[in-house]
Amino acid sequence: MVRFKNRDDDCEVISEDPRCRQCIEDRALGLAIRDAITRVHGDYGLACCSISFTVKYLNAYTGTVLLRCRKDSYRLLCSALPFVRSLESRAQRYPCFLNTLHVGGTIRTCQKFLIQYNTTQLLRLLQNCTNEEERQCIQKSLLSCSLTEEPSPSGDEEEDD
Amino acid sequence: RGPAGRAMAAAAFERRVLRRAAEHHYLRVRLELPDGGARPNAAQFKQLVVTALKELHGEVGAALPVDVLTYEEKTLSAILRVISSGFVKLWSALTLLGFYQNRRCAFRVLQTSPFLLALSGNSRELVL
Repeated sequence: MVRFKNRDDDCEVISEDPRCRQCIEDRALGLAIRDAITRVHGDYGLACCSISFTVKYLNAYTGTVLLRCRKDSYRLLCSALPFVRSLESRAQRYPCFLNTLHVGGTIRTCQKFLIQYNTTQLLRLLQNCTNEEERQCIQKSLLSCSLTEEPSPSGDEEEDD
Repeated sequence: RGPAGRAMAAAAFERRVLRRAAEHHYLRVRLELPDGGARPNAAQFKQLVVTALKELHGEVGAALPVDVLTYEEKTLSAILRVISSGFVKLWSALTLLGFYQNRRCAFRVLQTSPFLLALSGNSRELVL
């Protein structure tokens, strides 16, 4: 069966500026990535990667982004991601960089990876806790979250910041 | 198989086929500038080639090892050498270049070959 194969790229937006979190939105990120691809791979690379390029999922609290592109051009996309140096939104430019966590073939695999990754991150946060209050908070959220098989596509666990 | 068969096998020749073994590709190109303005010198010509690569293929394309082996300013023709993996990128970039310093221009690729010696003769310009 011939079908269009896509690659989903799981990235994390890391920034030193705390205000950057609020301005992470899909359109700004999409523009920033397209800009980086144009710089690194030119008109040909931009056209190749834009065929089916979308920001599929965005979580501003954790800074997790899920990008999708065609399988033939995902290498162009992945090689251009380190060149994204700043996000621009509402006439403000925040320096940041993208860290690729996982590349998968479907959204389901990326979702499974994200769930695993988020649990490890929560455990790590628990270890690095300095405040007793924060520790209680994280412990409560860890114990209260549970994976239920819901029919809706977003079965991710809730992250309270 | 008797001794005759074994002798035949010993005398059999071996053929080796090397595909895409050449490291570099050579192109003979000519730049057409229809308006009679100032002609670019060798450095400006190389800058033009790198600009063409940069527009179509970005920084990665501009970093391609391209050499201008010879350049004649009078006829605006040159021999370029490029690494074989970047041959398609170079040719497509030269094809799609339209402007030099806001003047209309076009690159004509006359000959290409993986061997430099092959560019010395051109059967199209053969005078019989």
